[in-house]
Amino acid sequence: MVIEVRLYATLRRYRPSIPNGVFTADIPDGISVAELVEKLEIDPAEIHMIMVNGIGREMDGILADGDRIGLFPAVGGG
Amino acid sequence: MALLAEGKMPERYQRNFGTVGIAGQIRLLKSKVAVVGAGGLGGTVIELLARLGVGQLRIIDGDTFAVHNLNRQLMSTEHNIGVNKAYAAASRVEVINCDVQAEAIPCMLDEGNAEKLLKGVDVVVDALDNVSTRLLVNRVTKQYGIPLIYAAIAGFTGQVMTIMPGDNGLERIYRQTNAPNQGVETMLGNPAGTPALAASLQVQEVVKVITGIGEPLRNKLLYFDTEMNVFEILTVT
Repeated sequence: MVIEVRLYATLRRYRPSIPNGVFTADIPDGISVAELVEKLEIDPAEIHMIMVNGIGREMDGILADGDRIGLFPAVGGG
Repeated sequence: MALLAEGKMPERYQRNFGTVGIAGQIRLLKSKVAVVGAGGLGGTVIELLARLGVGQLRIIDGDTFAVHNLNRQLMSTEHNIGVNKAYAAASRVEVINCDVQAEAIPCMLDEGNAEKLLKGVDVVVDALDNVSTRLLVNRVTKQYGIPLIYAAIAGFTGQVMTIMPGDNGLERIYRQTNAPNQGVETMLGNPAGTPALAASLQVQEVVKVITGIGEPLRNKLLYFDTEMNVFEILTVT
């Protein structure tokens, strides 16, 4: 299945060839966010918020074809 | 206030007329807002709330201005390095709007004083720079049923949300943070425009919550990344 991944802020450095951090990925059916993160070789400790189709989800959320997954680092400054 | 009671807008609030209106202006002037943190976010929030005519501001910050604050913190100047941020902000309010009573609390919000300092205010603005104190503010505002206007920033990114009594709050945003008390701002820093933008959005939320105008960002996180021109509304419930 094909999904869209959106990396935000510092997570974009995991795909330096894609300046806006937005790309599609062909992944096996029924995998979780955690499994996707592992496949993308992103350190899960850096991921703070997960959005699937604009709605907050957990690492164990199962993905579906066409999903748009946003991965966000922690933001805490003021 | 006397003019407002007669249905007339005082000159200094004339440009609030078409949005806030007479009834809204009266509500703002009768309101008490606590701003926790008077740095990057808080400085702009305080400046704008004072200009809007929020009647009482409780400004809580135990920190003092340092040279590295000058790039973005509105209340810092080359003349007040070393001065407590809450005092400096309250002094600024005094020269902006004599309708506004600013109370400086020159100490950090903590477990021991949070309830005392936040209880009884109409709205709390989170202008902090760390996660643990944010979660403390979130807990106390929830306990006392006080609307909380949250924002956090890092680099060119920021996020803003309004948490009304009964809503799920920051535990939905910081639930996956284990140890770190700060975010990627430690790596990215904060350029001048980011806190000003996030703080301006917070002020709009304060106005909406106090006056009842519009639709607050409730259960919605406004996330922006101006480096890549991203503005998104994310659902956080």
